[in-house]
Amino acid sequence: MLAADNVSISFGGVHAVRDVSFEVAAGQVYSIIGPNGAGKTTLFNLVSRLYDVDAGSITFDGEPITRVPPHQVAERGIARTFQNTELFEHETVLKNLLIGHHVHRQTALWEELLFLPKVREQDLVFRQQVEDVIDLLDLQSYRDQIIGNLPYGVRKMVEIARALCLGPRLILLDEPSSGLNPEETEDLSFWIEDINEELDITVVMVEHDMNLVNQVSDRVLVLADGVVIAVGTPNEIQGHPDVLRAYLGD
Amino acid sequence: MRFVLKTRYAQDVDFFKHNGQRFWYGLLGLFVFVAPFLLDDFYTGELSLVFIYAIAGIGLMLLVGYTGLVSLGHAAFLAIGAYAHAYFMTEGAPFMVSLIGATAVCVVIGAIVGIPSLRMTGIYLAVATLAFAQIVEKVLAHWESVTGGHRGMAVPEPEIFSWSLGTPRAFYFLVLLVLIGALFCALNLLRSPTGRAMIAIRDSEISAQAMGINLARVKTTSFAVSAGFTGLAGGLLAHKIGYLAPDAFTILISIQLLLMVVVGGLGSMHGVIYGAVFIGLLPQGIAFLRESLPAGIGQIPGLEPGIFGLILVLFLVYEPLGIFGRWIKIRLFFSEFPLYRKSTYKRQKSYLRTERVH
Repeated sequence: MLAADNVSISFGGVHAVRDVSFEVAAGQVYSIIGPNGAGKTTLFNLVSRLYDVDAGSITFDGEPITRVPPHQVAERGIARTFQNTELFEHETVLKNLLIGHHVHRQTALWEELLFLPKVREQDLVFRQQVEDVIDLLDLQSYRDQIIGNLPYGVRKMVEIARALCLGPRLILLDEPSSGLNPEETEDLSFWIEDINEELDITVVMVEHDMNLVNQVSDRVLVLADGVVIAVGTPNEIQGHPDVLRAYLGD
Repeated sequence: MRFVLKTRYAQDVDFFKHNGQRFWYGLLGLFVFVAPFLLDDFYTGELSLVFIYAIAGIGLMLLVGYTGLVSLGHAAFLAIGAYAHAYFMTEGAPFMVSLIGATAVCVVIGAIVGIPSLRMTGIYLAVATLAFAQIVEKVLAHWESVTGGHRGMAVPEPEIFSWSLGTPRAFYFLVLLVLIGALFCALNLLRSPTGRAMIAIRDSEISAQAMGINLARVKTTSFAVSAGFTGLAGGLLAHKIGYLAPDAFTILISIQLLLMVVVGGLGSMHGVIYGAVFIGLLPQGIAFLRESLPAGIGQIPGLEPGIFGLILVLFLVYEPLGIFGRWIKIRLFFSEFPLYRKSTYKRQKSYLRTERVH
């Protein structure tokens, strides 16, 4: 579904990602792990086109997305979250989730200025769908709260909810469990399974919490210093000598 | 405290959230419609000027308060609107056609000026728009065949279907209706996908992109719509001034417009109205100040821009959410009493984000 072929990028003299290739099959939960600075988030930023690749190519559903403008990545069905949450701070949860529907809008500017019945109906449909996502992730009590007032754990969930509002086929989660307490992390693992199985969305996540990774992942890719050092099932990865060396040293 | 029971999704879409709001806004509407019959011509005129400022402010608010792009050149759009309207009318276009034409001219120019905003934000954009305003001022002064140069140009009387709108009262109602129309459109935009996209760009460009928002498109749209509203206000302002000259649209006007949206409260349409009232009262306040200060200080040239600047700075430092923000806090204080927490409105991020680099 999502495939990278020998992707590289460097910032000045730092080779953040070097000749990385991977392939995510539809329906998988695919985890990317690795020590700090391994290039995991950079890889996400390459997929969502925030950075330009120096070499290599990325394809989604067989079509190259290496050179499409960033907003088209979302239009093609790839949603993402950010490591330190990038929500729209001054707005309510509801508004944030409605923004998630942006790619589905069917209305022109002049129709919106006059708020024709068409725009109203579209908004009511969006509102209904937002409610479905709120139901799924248990965000009912935060609906009308301003993001700035919410605790970190809830913001993380709102960000996942916003990504789901896009109606994606693939979701990129950048460290979904960072900053969550053990209980919240536990809930998260169930939600990831729900998202994957019930909504039929392929999940790619960068994660540090190995329990979570083992629990939900079908495949794990290990990065260190911008290079792939191992790919396999969680069990294979755990005993892999190169992985141990990357984490613990020689 | 009021709890609104929501039983339909349409309640999240509607303008008024509960009957209390309907009542108070209805009362306000009633007041503005009877006001010219209670006030004399001078105050009716002053109130029309406040409304014209408010229309221009709606435009600037969409840009600064909702899209997070700062413009120090909105006097230029006011000028282009005014001159274009006066020119079209002198050439014989009917009032409404001319006003719409002037707005359209501003929309097009706004879209073009918006293009640099794709690469610049914050202070850099402010400087670029400032330069644009200077260019427009010079063009107006030198393009004599259209603008009359420094001699200026007379603005024909406004009339619709040979019905004169020249009297202060008739003009007041014209401006009021345009203001209501402009507010209606702006609020509609803000509850639609494009308006939400603007807000998204203001709060986080990076995640706006990840949500599939085309930054280039939305920013240019925002500039165009903003210029359109301000140009519309310019057309009306032309009638209020009666005689156009390039020095009526200086940098000071741009600053005054920015002052209006900041003082009123960034990120709310209420703020525009508060700001417009504030700006409308300010000249009287300053005139009063001049008289009461000792002659040596009161007659200093440049007192006015100095005071504008001072107020802007004081608001940015002490009340960045403006008059409307202060009102929200006071309201919350009473509704939560005695549990109000000061930290509720602690500022976390600023709107002008030159300092935040991704």
